[in-house]
Amino acid sequence: MATVHDEIDTWLAADLHGELSDGEQSTLHAHLIDCAACRKTHQEIKTMNKILEETLAQEKADPAFEQRMLAGFRRRAPQRGGFVKLIVDLMRLRAAQIAAVAAALLGLVQIGRMITGEPVITARERERYAQVEVTAPQGPESRPSQAGALGRSDASNDMVQWKAWSKDTAAGQPQDLAREAPPPPTAARSKFREESKATAATVAAAKTAQAETTESEAFAASPENPPSVKEAGKTTVEMPAPELANRKLIRNATVEVEIVSFDNAVQKITAFANEEHGYVATTDSEKQTNGKLKGQIVVKVLPENLDRFLQRIRSLGELKNQTLGTEDVTKAYFDTDARLKNAHVMEQRLIDMLKTKTGKVSDLLQVEKELGRVREEIEKMQGELKYWDSQVQFATVTISLAEKDMEEPAAFLLKERAQLSLYTPDVEKIYSQAKSLASPKVQITNAQLNRDYSGRVSAQLSMLIAPEESDAVISRVKGFGRVENFQRQTQRLAQGGSGMSENARTKRDKVELNIAISREEQEQAFQQTSLRIRTSSVDEKAKELRALAEKQGGRVRSSTFSSDPNGREVASVSLRVAMKNYPALMQSLNSLGRVENVSVQRQDRADAQVDESNAPADVSIQVYSQGNIVTEESGLLTTLRRTLAQSAGAIMWSLRMIGVAIAFLAPWAIAIVGIVWIARRAIRARSKP
Amino acid sequence: MDPSEREQYRAAIHGDREAFEMIIRTHSRPLFAIAYGILQNREEAEDVVQDSLVKAWKTRWRVRDPEKFPAWLATIARHKARDFFRKRRTVPFSEQLIEPVEPEPMNTAVLDQQMHSALAALPELHRAALTLRYFEEMDYRTIEDTLGLTNGALRGILGRALASMRKQLRPALAAME
Repeated sequence: MATVHDEIDTWLAADLHGELSDGEQSTLHAHLIDCAACRKTHQEIKTMNKILEETLAQEKADPAFEQRMLAGFRRRAPQRGGFVKLIVDLMRLRAAQIAAVAAALLGLVQIGRMITGEPVITARERERYAQVEVTAPQGPESRPSQAGALGRSDASNDMVQWKAWSKDTAAGQPQDLAREAPPPPTAARSKFREESKATAATVAAAKTAQAETTESEAFAASPENPPSVKEAGKTTVEMPAPELANRKLIRNATVEVEIVSFDNAVQKITAFANEEHGYVATTDSEKQTNGKLKGQIVVKVLPENLDRFLQRIRSLGELKNQTLGTEDVTKAYFDTDARLKNAHVMEQRLIDMLKTKTGKVSDLLQVEKELGRVREEIEKMQGELKYWDSQVQFATVTISLAEKDMEEPAAFLLKERAQLSLYTPDVEKIYSQAKSLASPKVQITNAQLNRDYSGRVSAQLSMLIAPEESDAVISRVKGFGRVENFQRQTQRLAQGGSGMSENARTKRDKVELNIAISREEQEQAFQQTSLRIRTSSVDEKAKELRALAEKQGGRVRSSTFSSDPNGREVASVSLRVAMKNYPALMQSLNSLGRVENVSVQRQDRADAQVDESNAPADVSIQVYSQGNIVTEESGLLTTLRRTLAQSAGAIMWSLRMIGVAIAFLAPWAIAIVGIVWIARRAIRARSKP
Repeated sequence: MDPSEREQYRAAIHGDREAFEMIIRTHSRPLFAIAYGILQNREEAEDVVQDSLVKAWKTRWRVRDPEKFPAWLATIARHKARDFFRKRRTVPFSEQLIEPVEPEPMNTAVLDQQMHSALAALPELHRAALTLRYFEEMDYRTIEDTLGLTNGALRGILGRALASMRKQLRPALAAME
């Protein structure tokens, strides 16, 4: 431990500040008396303490300090309004914080869905317009109406285009727009309304002259559209109206038709294609196992002939499915075109630079490299334009053809399945005999011999037999023992299709045979008898009964004895004897006592292959004695006890109901109390400034 | 802690303005002592106390245990004062120490200045402990509570602080006697 001398400053400071205990004080004073150095230090510290007190007293906060602090606080932390305070107080609760975080997360998810969901909606809209086009009625004299349909598709494309345009505006590419942007939104919208009115008219009154005039007016207005151009000029900068001829539309259709003859249909399609100034691009076909053909043909036709061509395709057979799509690549096409022109200019400039041949070699090399790059780009763009040109020039029609009755089966297969149960005294022997049947035409797929804990043996065999051998093998198996439960099942399976067919062949498949072999003992009795014998000495008579049974060659299968508190004794004996000994046994039973309630149940089997004299017969005998007259169950005490038990049960039941009621109401009560508590707290917080 | 005091802290934490203003009345002086100890400048110390009180009011819900409220206030004041101190580090310290109003005798003024520079040489915690002791005449136990020190540490701190000052001021002290 450090001495007082070592820590004299600490001791002296504590002394000056009055923080020494009495014991410590005397220790310090004792030391000061002894040590001159520490006395000097004491002197110094005392002086310094005084100076310190004086100096720091000047620096103390003045009396108005607290008032200033309060005023400043009130100025800088003004009291909040009631509602804001309530919200702030609420937010301090952990539950409210969690709820707020969850709500914020949900909001974010919703916003995300809105952002990502938008393009999906646009796509669906486009699809709907395409459908309008497909469902437009197309009669034999459908020239004007087709023109109308084209005009309509134009309108729908205008809408799509307009959307793309507005997006582009956001992206900031005004120079591209100036070339081929559609009329501004207001014009497009009014035009679209006009068009849709025309469509409605067509649908309602198919081919009235009135509708035709409306449509043709609409059509006449749509390519040049002078009124809308004027409107456009009013609202925004002058823009050239889109021309139908300049639109780059890729049209394609897929059709699914069921026809009678494939080859015939292909010939007809080829003829149609030629008539419509188109050509068959690819054909492929596939022959099914039942001889039916199906395949796909791709035809290219001029876009303006597409609708007529599709109409003719319908006449080939039953139309299963048809889709028609239009893709507008106008913008991308002209973008690429403009870039191509720029690239050409660039190329020319680079060539000029090379021709003048001034500058360093490295610069020239740079120019050459750049020229190579520009040329590569030009080629790529030219390729793209060519591809689009080819796509736009011809509409692609994919026709899927399938002949009628595609599903007709090619063949039938007869599947036979047989099942039989054998009862035999020696299971193992029969099992090995059945196994020895195996040959190339008889294949054993599964063979198993089971012996359970009580020494019972059973066996199971499954085999596949060639159809021609099946009857012989099955009859041999039947000879092995007593047959029970023979089942045979035949199934006709259609191959390569379903339903009926006149031409299909029928084939027999291998016969599947399942054999279950069990010992005779497990066999069900041929005849079952039950009877009761009333006697006074049950035990004795039961013993006698067993002796009788043995004499008749019977076997006791089970035997029980019981006596109840009312003095009643019951012995149950179950016997099995052969049918030939059955009458003798029944006769001898009369000697034991009064025989009552005899009931005999016999099971005659349909297959009648049972050896009746040896078939087992079961006899179950109940030997009993009459008990006391008044039973234990109806005494006075018993009634009393039962009443008490029932009343106790009733009390328990009502207790349970009370519990259920509490469980039903408690959460609501807690919730209501909680809400009231929070509300009171909030009101208190608000009222207390 | 006194139960009524405790109740006052609890009410302040729960947004009772009256209780908080009461705490301002009773606690702004110790806070001032702490701030002054660190900054050695009254105007700045006052600003620090003001800032600390506003901050404490705005973040009062962070204190879960009302017992710790005073210590927490002191911590805020110390942090604020340290921030102030860092901001003005470029300004030489001695300039700050010249007191404009001092009609006292020459040797006292010199001693005063020496005292201030000796104080300034001490560690921050020592200064805060000293000012709490000499401004507010708090007992050791209260100072320890306010500064969040463990039991008995303060005695050593004050001892060392006084010893270091004594050594620096020894010539002047000798002259005094």
